[in-house]
Order: sequence, then C-alpha cells, then structure tokens
Amino acid sequence: MESLQLIITSLPSFWRAGLMTLQITAAGVFIGLFIGLVVGLLRVSDSKLSRYPAKGYIFLIRGTPLLLQLFIIYYGLTSIITIPPFPSAVIALGIHNGAYIAEVFRGAIQSIDKGQMEAARSLGMTKSKAMERIILPQAFKRAIPSLGNQFIIALKDSSLASTIAVSELLLRGRQLGSSSFRYMEMLIVVAIWYLLLTSLFTLIMHRLESHFKTS
Amino acid sequence: MILLENITKNFGKLKVLKGVDLRVDEGEVVVIIGPSGSGKSTLLRCINFLETAGKGSRISIDGKIVHRQKNDINMLRKNVGMVFQHFNLFPHMTVLQNVMVGPKQVLHMKKEEAQKLGIELLEKVGLADKHNAYPQMLSGGQKQRVAIARALSMNPQIMLFDEPTSALDPELVGEVIGVMADLAKEGMTMIVVTHEMWFAKEAADRVCVMDDGLIIEEGTPEQIFEDPQTERAKQFLQMLL
Ligand SMILES: Nc1ncnc2c1ncn2[C@@H]1O[C@H](COP(=O)(O)OP(=O)(O)OP(=O)(O)O)[C@@H](O)[C@H]1O
Ligand SMILES: [Mg+2]
Repeated sequence: MESLQLIITSLPSFWRAGLMTLQITAAGVFIGLFIGLVVGLLRVSDSKLSRYPAKGYIFLIRGTPLLLQLFIIYYGLTSIITIPPFPSAVIALGIHNGAYIAEVFRGAIQSIDKGQMEAARSLGMTKSKAMERIILPQAFKRAIPSLGNQFIIALKDSSLASTIAVSELLLRGRQLGSSSFRYMEMLIVVAIWYLLLTSLFTLIMHRLESHFKTS
Repeated sequence: MILLENITKNFGKLKVLKGVDLRVDEGEVVVIIGPSGSGKSTLLRCINFLETAGKGSRISIDGKIVHRQKNDINMLRKNVGMVFQHFNLFPHMTVLQNVMVGPKQVLHMKKEEAQKLGIELLEKVGLADKHNAYPQMLSGGQKQRVAIARALSMNPQIMLFDEPTSALDPELVGEVIGVMADLAKEGMTMIVVTHEMWFAKEAADRVCVMDDGLIIEEGTPEQIFEDPQTERAKQFLQMLL
C-alpha cells in the first residue's frame, strides 16, 4: 500500500527524464529516417556501386550491438573527437535505426507491383521521377506499420543512453532508487513511464495509419 | 510510321523473339494474335524499351532509329502510349490525377491545362463523372478506360495494347473494346495484342499471327481468319473459335 503510494507520488519527478527520453528518441528516429531513406534507395539501385556500400552499412550495423556502437561513438572516438553524452546517444540511435529503417524502406519499395514502375516509365518519366511520384508515396504508406514498430524499439533502446550518463528515464530511476533505497518502486515508475510513452507512440501510429488508409 | 527490324530477345538461354520484322504505317491498326508464350507481350515491351531487344534489333519511328540511350528512349516513350493487361493505374492518385501526372511531370504542363486535358480525355472514355474517384472504387472496365485516357494524355503517335480485356469479366469487355474502336476510327496508329475476334474483324487493317518468337503469317482479317496459309495458324485459329 505504502509502495503504491510512493510509486504514484514519484511519477511526476520523472517528468524531465521522460522528456529527455523522448528527445533522444525523436532526434534518433529523425536521423534514422533520413539515413534509412538514403540507404534504402541506394540498396534498391540498379548500380552495384550504390548497392554495395548500402549493403555493407546494413551488414555492419545490424550485425553489432547498439551498446557497442554507442561506446564506439562516446568512448572510442575520443582520440579524434569528443562528443558529449546527449549527441552521442542521438547519433548512435540514428545510425542504428538507419540500418533497420533502410531495410523497412527496401522491403516496402520492393513490394510495390512492378507494373507501377513500368506504367510510369511508359509515360516517359525518368526512373527518379517515377520513384519520387509513383513508387515512394505508395511505399511510405506501406512502411508505416513497420516504421511504427521500429520507433517503439528505438524508444526502448534509448535507455542504453543511461550507460553514458544521459539523464533519461532509466538513469533517473536508478539514481532515485539508490538514493531512496526503494529500487523496485523506482524501477516500476520507470516501467510505467515507458508504457505511457510506447502507448502514445502506438496511438499516433494508428492515427497515421488510418489517416493514410482513408486518403 | 514505326518500323521493327530483326527484333530478337533472349531471357537467359530462352529465345523468346527470333527476329521479328514489322512495319506499321500511320493510322494503321495491327492486331497480333498467337498462342500463349509466343512472345507477343515481349514484342510490345521491346517496342517501348520496357525490355531491351537483343543486338542487331532495330526500331525506328518516322525513319529515325531509336538508339539505346536515355534521351532517345524517353523521347520514344512520350510518343508511344501503352495499355497493360492489369491496368497498372496509380492507386494513390485519383482518376484525374492519374491522367494528369504524365503531362504535368513529363511535359511540364501547367496544372490548369493538364486538368482541362484530363477532363477532356475522361469525357472521351466516358468517365468524366468519376474524375475524383480512386482507382480501387472502379470496375475493371472503368479502370482500363482510365488507363487508356492516361496513355492518351501524352498525345502519343502510337498506342500499344497488351491484352487490354483479358483480365476483365466478359460483360465489361465491350466498353473497353468500344473505346479502342473509336480510337481506331479517329486514325490512331495502334498495335493491339488481343484475342477479341470482333475487334480484329471490325477495326484491324492487318492481323499478324505470332508463334514461337516469329510472325508466321500476316494479312487482312479476312485472309487470316478465313483462309490461313500456315498449319500452325490454322491450328491456333481453330482453338480460338
Ligand atoms: N522477364 C522474363 N524473364 C524470363 N522469361 C520471360 C520473361 N518475360 C517473358 N518470359 C518468357 O518469354 C516467353 C514469351 O512470353 P510473352 O509474355 O511474350 O508471351 P505472350 O505471347 O505474351 O503470352 P501470353 O499470351 O500468355 O501473354 C514465355 O515463355 C515467358 O515465360
Ligand atoms: Mg502476353
């Protein structure tokens, strides 16, 4: 009973940490979308010169843990450049999600019927024009559910930033837990926060999906 | 006038076209028939370079050879409209947008102008009232008529049709063939792969029979349907009737 009370009264004190989690996620996803679109387009290109670097990128990033990538950026690069914790987390999350989002876009682009490209080309559109006007609008729509999934994974993955002292939800929970000796309660508060945020994401994605379905 | 000389096409080891020659004059309507797998679609697709024909193949329009380079090919595609068996309408665009997108994006026509053209063409195929609908709300016959309007939007010299009615329910064939017959009457140059005999009889100036990658026989509809010369053509026509 007393624990429950503590959990409820502690919820608001994670407000700033929750905002931080959202910021890392949003910035990371934004970068990830950009990288994902570029790499995804290179990945489906006809030219090997574009395809292979994209394949290599996806191979490297998907084949190694995000935590390792984060450490390489934050600790590993210090001999060349020192990147503060927050940007390090954002960059790592962006690069990491870029690879997954590239695969989402690739799948979506390849799932569009070949006849669409042929019809566009037969109207005299160049390949890039056809991509821009005909293929991508359809592919984006089809990618939304998988993108939503990926965003939720990114939100949870942002907790790794706690390892490099970014004061997001998990770090905040651990700090309050150890200072108050109420670890379990504080971790439950963190869990509630994550559930709220993931539910919010899910809701937004559903809205987006049904919006695109009707238009 | 479009001239095809020695068109060949291989898919790996499979020789699909084995040196097709065909000349289609301005205003002529040529119907191509032939058994499944004989290369009819491949031939049409080679004409507007959706497939690249083999070495030694030559395609010329009005005496000018179309070279295998981007500029020539894009130029040719503006002049050659294509209608597909499965319509291939753009599902994320309204009917009118489908018809406007070519003129706008390729010919850089102004929006108002493209809109006017689009409505005109939709009127021509009898679908002006559907201009705000999305393709998935249309019947197959309506879809194919929109696809014809879309191809016409580029004001092509030649129209290619690849079995435009074979994906349609029988009762919807007539409306599409009707639009095609009107086009033929207006003097459009057309190459049509179809097994709709009455279109061939009504509208075609010439019928070509393809078999195994070659045109094995060509002549007026009467000649081909009533008095085919080759054994293969006889067999195939018997099957159709
Ligand atoms: N992209 C491709 N790759 C490999 N083989 C192909 C390809 N396209 C067509 N073919 C083969 O080429 C042959 C001719 O095909 P095509 O589609 O031109 O025949 P068709 O005369 O149009 O037949 P149908 O009446 O069934 O449409 C077939 O054996 C087909 O399997
Ligand atoms: Mg065919």
